[in-house]
Amino acid sequence: MTDDKDVLRDVWFGRIPTCFTLYQDEITEREAEPYYLLLPRISYLTLVTDKVKKHFQKVMRQEEVSEIWFEYEGTPLKWHYPIGLLFDLHASNTALPWSITVHFKNFPEKDLLHCHSKDVIEAHFMACIKEADALKHKSQVINEMQKKDHKQLWMGLQNDKFEQFWAINRKLMEYPPEDNGFRYIPFRIYQATTERPFIQKLFRPIASGGQLHTLGDLLKDVCPTAISLEDGEQKTQVMIHGIEPMLETPIQWLSEHMSYPDNFLHISIIPRPTD
Amino acid sequence: VSCSMAGEEVFFLEEKRFKQCCEDFVKHSQQIGDGWEWRTSKDLGDGYLSKTHFQVRNRHIPPDLKEKNNDNTEQTLFAHLEEPLDDSQAAGVGSAEEVVRYEYHVLYSSSYQVPVLYFRACFLDGRPLTLDEIWGNVHASYQARLQEGPWDTITQQEHPILGQPFFVLHPCRTNEFISAVLSGSQKHHRHTNYIILWLSTVGPVVGLNLPLSYAKLAPEQSTSTDM
Repeated sequence: MTDDKDVLRDVWFGRIPTCFTLYQDEITEREAEPYYLLLPRISYLTLVTDKVKKHFQKVMRQEEVSEIWFEYEGTPLKWHYPIGLLFDLHASNTALPWSITVHFKNFPEKDLLHCHSKDVIEAHFMACIKEADALKHKSQVINEMQKKDHKQLWMGLQNDKFEQFWAINRKLMEYPPEDNGFRYIPFRIYQATTERPFIQKLFRPIASGGQLHTLGDLLKDVCPTAISLEDGEQKTQVMIHGIEPMLETPIQWLSEHMSYPDNFLHISIIPRPTD
Repeated sequence: VSCSMAGEEVFFLEEKRFKQCCEDFVKHSQQIGDGWEWRTSKDLGDGYLSKTHFQVRNRHIPPDLKEKNNDNTEQTLFAHLEEPLDDSQAAGVGSAEEVVRYEYHVLYSSSYQVPVLYFRACFLDGRPLTLDEIWGNVHASYQARLQEGPWDTITQQEHPILGQPFFVLHPCRTNEFISAVLSGSQKHHRHTNYIILWLSTVGPVVGLNLPLSYAKLAPEQSTSTDM
């Protein structure tokens, strides 16, 4: 029987085999070979693609290079979303490796946030963690931590150090013994078809009668079309970290075990493949 | 609207109250022609306050204006960041680069239970302003504070309803501002329009000013639901 702690490791060490190809209109001095990389699901594109950038810059002239950005089948990829979320949302039912196109020109100002340095990624990551704790603990746990603990969360993510990260993160996953869970669950639900980037609302993990709310309860409340049936069939998949958890799973358990390092549950609603 | 935690007063705004304050705010804006409107999202029924205006970034005199009458020239010559141009005046300025189109949105954060100010700016040719260019327009008295830790105060983020990049005045500082302003007698809070109080405090940080007439906004009816 799998231990709950094994789930934490499986989530942390998930990888997506990816093939990076330079956009054909970029001007190069020699032909650019594609670059293959296993991307960590829990990290961010701009944090883990230094080697990709170096590889393509070798064949380009300096003046042709400005801020790198990534695109999949015409869709600019938001670096501030975790890699696993981007894959689940856009490419989960396509063949591996995931084919991403690399750009160095014509940055899409209307679609993507700028990412001029690692500090920007750290600031974004920490802002997500703080928001998650505002929901879970009225910010009490994150505010009680020292600056060095905040740094350890970031360094753990940046250096892929599971133990270092969880030494601090476990405190963000605790709750007072008199409660049976967090105050509210930090979650975001994504659908590629909507203009709205995600749905986020206040949702309690425990019902007034004390029962544990489930993933199904969350969806019914916040995004009922995600689980409604069309002609008796479920036309969509509800995906977290590349799997479809049972709708009966308690949302408190999902929040503790399947959140991303930013402490949010990022849930994708995607069309169910018809084959 | 307020609750006490360990003796410290922290002011939270519930979403219903946010919407009511916005409704009253827009009504007054319409009366004085200040340009704010409420936009409702089609899918979930939530929404936000929105205002667009044009500002001249510097005091360069465009050649065209020398031909216009004195009143207009004087107004544009001494245009401060706080003086908005209306659309027709903006189009008359010689160099398109100097006129900046600012868009301000006020959204509600359910995570922090406060309003949040989102904004973006671009030149008339569509080129967006960078964060550095925006910071350059920040009021002098706020610049020192921002220099200590800019990443905590104004950052670029994804607009939660439109999905596009905006600059955001960080919400977890809101309680600092508001608590300082609202630290007065409890009984006044019932009749305060939180949005007017908040926006008049944080708006100037990014060049957004409220005409004084908002302060005369009729207090909320005592029959409205109170926290």
